Amino acid sequence: MKRDIWDTIIGNRVFFLSLLFVILFILLSFTVPGFLNLYNLTNMTQYGVELGLLALAEALVILSGGGGIDLSVGSMMSLVAIVIGVLIGRVGLSPSLAVVIGMLTGLAAGLFNGLLVSVGKILPLIVTLAGMYIYRSLALIIAVDPQFGPNPMPVSNFSKSFYFIGQYRIGGIPFQVLFIFVPVLLILHFLLSRTAWGRKLYGVGSNETAATFSGIDVSRVRLTVYALSGLLSALAAWVITSRIASARPDIGTGYELQAITIAVLGGISIQGGEGTVGGVLLSVAIITMLNNGLQLAGIHQIWQLGALGLVLIGSVLLNQFLIRRRKI
Amino acid sequence: MINFQRIVRRREFTVLVLILILSAIFSFTTERFLSVSNITNLLLQLSGVAITAIGMTMVIITGGIDVSAGSTLGMACVVSGYLLMGGYSPFLALVLAVLVGLGIGFVNGAIIVWGDVPPIIATLGMMNLIRALMFQTLGGRWISGIPPACRTIGLGKWLGVPIPMWIATFLIIVFSYFLSYRPLGRHIYAVGNNPEAARVSGVNLKSTIIFVYALTGALAGFAGLINAARTGIVQTNSGMGFELDVIAAVVLGGTSALGGRGTIIGSLLGAFLVGIIKNGMVLLNVPALSEGLVIGALIIISVLADIIRARRETR
Repeated sequence: MKRDIWDTIIGNRVFFLSLLFVILFILLSFTVPGFLNLYNLTNMTQYGVELGLLALAEALVILSGGGGIDLSVGSMMSLVAIVIGVLIGRVGLSPSLAVVIGMLTGLAAGLFNGLLVSVGKILPLIVTLAGMYIYRSLALIIAVDPQFGPNPMPVSNFSKSFYFIGQYRIGGIPFQVLFIFVPVLLILHFLLSRTAWGRKLYGVGSNETAATFSGIDVSRVRLTVYALSGLLSALAAWVITSRIASARPDIGTGYELQAITIAVLGGISIQGGEGTVGGVLLSVAIITMLNNGLQLAGIHQIWQLGALGLVLIGSVLLNQFLIRRRKI
Repeated sequence: MINFQRIVRRREFTVLVLILILSAIFSFTTERFLSVSNITNLLLQLSGVAITAIGMTMVIITGGIDVSAGSTLGMACVVSGYLLMGGYSPFLALVLAVLVGLGIGFVNGAIIVWGDVPPIIATLGMMNLIRALMFQTLGGRWISGIPPACRTIGLGKWLGVPIPMWIATFLIIVFSYFLSYRPLGRHIYAVGNNPEAARVSGVNLKSTIIFVYALTGALAGFAGLINAARTGIVQTNSGMGFELDVIAAVVLGGTSALGGRGTIIGSLLGAFLVGIIKNGMVLLNVPALSEGLVIGALIIISVLADIIRARRETR
């Protein structure tokens, strides 16, 4: 009986994460001064948006199976951020046009990854590792302003109209939460749980051979997923450049680890084909809260990554433990 | 009779030709490429990559990956930096640097094998954890001014060739022999080719896999000591991104990321290729920013070429 209760608690990912969330929330409220007030809590949500978008990108890619992983999300984010920055700040395009071009850049980078994975049949790990190099390097090259010598420079002379998505609020709720994150979340949830495409994605992820025999175009599903990953990274880039009012060519460094961690903690099985958007949402909330708590407690940023490393290994260990237990 | 066709078809040959072509181009277009100081510099820089690539080749042959090698190198830098500064013998620093690396590598292998965690996840987590521990140990400061007497292993020369390159050469010969002729070496290929078949024929999967990660850690630790002795400086970001150079060298050298195929000599050539590209671009005043672009593109092209060739051969 006791064992059954534990099984349901750990086995039901959404329940487990909710419990973890509540425990962490209470813990941080009592131990970290400045954590539990309305301003901090609403303010915190804006930091979760960029991470959340990248985590959803990672979730889609990992769901598609076949060793699916995208190590290049951070670099794609850097690339799009600097493209948007340079177009507005140096070329003088209107922000809306620059953002559209930025989104297309992200989509193109994602498509490039997807083509190599699905048509080229190269392992996702290798493709996106190379992609990480390439997009990061492109971002640095684009960031060079010949007027100021050969070094990459950040861009920060934006017009005020560019800041609306990252800095404005309605009733205390940041714009990017309301107009970007929530819609994306709902769309992806709908796509995955209610459409034929979603079922195809799960099918491809859990059993590629079976999916092929039941007439699913595996390559096309995978191509779409990597392209979406590029697009979501581009959205994250738009939001973050607007929020911090600066486009830096190294802005996405280290984000890939966080995105992968959140996706895996949220119950996306690294083998593919298993996991939900809801789990990822809870996981985003937990990690954002943890980062915020550590920051308020004055712990160096590098420990946020260190803690994430632990959480990543721990959550996969737990996943595998559960799978093994189910088999017995 | 030597089968020329077989040699020409090997990846190692293609990489060698590329290295020769690039060297020729760089020596005609720049004056410094063939100078003694530049070649010494080049060899010094790539010896760490070449040493760690020995282990990484085996890891990738088993179908795994180790992205924590850069952090492991960094941690070994910290440990050996403190010991050298504290006036301990360089030999003790060497032993401890290798042990620290070995320990980290063993934990990687243990998590992968006993926890059934995919290698990319285990080593990605470890990479950041070790980096945070490094920061904690250094306390935000950096180590500099390691006494010159202790820096022979990183800066010394013998017969005109830097000592790190001698060490790398020695290790490459030993481990190439090991990988080709010793039972455990053959097991590594077997695990990469077909784990199930390997298991059935009596290969101990778990200890083989733990061995390759532990070895990679130990070699990265060794490279860390050399790095600390060579540069004389240890910072929180020492070794950051180093793993990418190593993985690039191994993949360019023809080790298949699907597992089961690859040689240490190939990885050495890959390391030379990456090193020469970086070096030549600096000499040509091409901004270092495009380095990633060139290396990334090379990785993709070389893997694609392999796949196309494989398809043609099966037809």
